[in-house]
Amino acid sequence: MKTSANPNDVCYVVDPGMGAHLQDLGRPGLSRFGVPRGGPMDPHAAGWANQLLGNPPDSPVLELLLQGAKIAALRPVWAAVTGARANANVPLWRVVRMDADDMITFGASQSGVWTYIAIEGGFVDEPVLGSVATSPRVRLGRSLRRGAVIRAAADSRFSLPQGVAGRMAPSKEQRDYRNPPPLRVWPGPDWDAFPSTARSAFLHQPWTISSRSDRSGYRLEGKPLPSTPKPGLSEPVLIGTVQVPEDGRPIVTLNDGPTVGGYPRLALVDQADLPWLTQCRSGQTVRFQGTA
Amino acid sequence: MRWLSYGPNALLFHFAERPSEAAFLKGRAIVRDLETNPAPGVVDFVPGFTSILILFSPALVPDPRRHALEWIARLKSATSASLPPPETRLVPVRYDGPDLERVAERAKLSVQQTIEAHSGAIYRVYTLGFAPGFAYLGDLDPRLHTPRLATPRPRVPAGSVGIGGEHTGVYPLETAGGWNLIGRTSLRLFDPDRAEASRDPRNAFLLKSGDRVRFVPQ
Repeated sequence: MKTSANPNDVCYVVDPGMGAHLQDLGRPGLSRFGVPRGGPMDPHAAGWANQLLGNPPDSPVLELLLQGAKIAALRPVWAAVTGARANANVPLWRVVRMDADDMITFGASQSGVWTYIAIEGGFVDEPVLGSVATSPRVRLGRSLRRGAVIRAAADSRFSLPQGVAGRMAPSKEQRDYRNPPPLRVWPGPDWDAFPSTARSAFLHQPWTISSRSDRSGYRLEGKPLPSTPKPGLSEPVLIGTVQVPEDGRPIVTLNDGPTVGGYPRLALVDQADLPWLTQCRSGQTVRFQGTA
Repeated sequence: MRWLSYGPNALLFHFAERPSEAAFLKGRAIVRDLETNPAPGVVDFVPGFTSILILFSPALVPDPRRHALEWIARLKSATSASLPPPETRLVPVRYDGPDLERVAERAKLSVQQTIEAHSGAIYRVYTLGFAPGFAYLGDLDPRLHTPRLATPRPRVPAGSVGIGGEHTGVYPLETAGGWNLIGRTSLRLFDPDRAEASRDPRNAFLLKSGDRVRFVPQ
């Protein structure tokens, strides 16, 4: 582990914790072939990790699920950790220096779900359909297991001045995921097919995030919506769509979800508010709010 | 043609009321038009059975609703008249799936008759979805319409041929799945290496919206 075979080997997965995957901005433009866009579940936090290091927004970052990961540096590198809090041994939302054999470790999860690690210049991996993003449900990208080595872009070394050391995200951008604001929603294509009682119940009751939630979709628990329209033909579904199966329990389709679906599409969560939802842990509640 | 906003960055156009040969040809003509003459500001488009979603870049097209009427004119004028006839893809199938007998019983057919009914039709690829390269094929013989499994299987092998409700299709890769499995093909419906080799992501997919498909019993 200490001797690195390739000069671009930059990190070593000592422990992937509950899940470690590379994410870039995914595979937009291929929805018509059934390819989910994928990409970071919290683009706000992932974007800040890259921005702190001066990386382009599409630079691959490491996305960690909940807790337990241990990531070691194989050589000196600037890094930034953002997103969910899980007793990390480094400060979040700021640039940190790692030396060879330094390790970023995460303990028990405190708040939020998804944590991001960026390095100067970004990670690299073999692209599939133009992206290194990992969508486990459809077997795109690769899961980083114990012992996996991650590479940096070839020309990224020592590209940052020492002055980046103190750089940090403005405090208002350092989100506290325990208290999400009401999430703005737009009417979905099938909004008018729902009775007003169902639309009103959707907007006026709190919804609890189910433990049956993943990168494809988050399920919402609460008083089931009344008189849900019957499922129909498979029609296009955008990321953030609130679909309602016949049991009246909404599902929010997310990054790795299907690109078409037959459940009626009640609403669409505003893209800017979606990261607040994806950072909610099971058991947390959210409310929705109509857009004016 | 009806249109709807689907959030602030997307428009949804309904080009047909129900699936049909005319709807299929119309959808195919629209997809061909969007692929051949890419419109600035369009970041993605997705055909469904009777509608097409067009997703815009918020930076380039801040308020897509203002362009809905131009889009309707464009989509209305898309015609299949000048297009080559749809390709017919042959998919060899070994009809030995774990749900074949149940599908046959439900249809009150013998297994052999079920195979003949499934392989006797030429299907239309109305849309792809669920997983990369997963084609929704219609129209399936109504006798073979079979509800999806109440509990999806956690792992369906790649190449499995299934029936889900009134559609049939092939699982391009191993995923969870709730369709009734009637057979298996060795054909690779999704192969990202083909895309890398040609530098065109479209080549990863054997079936595309607008193709026709026939299953050939092995």
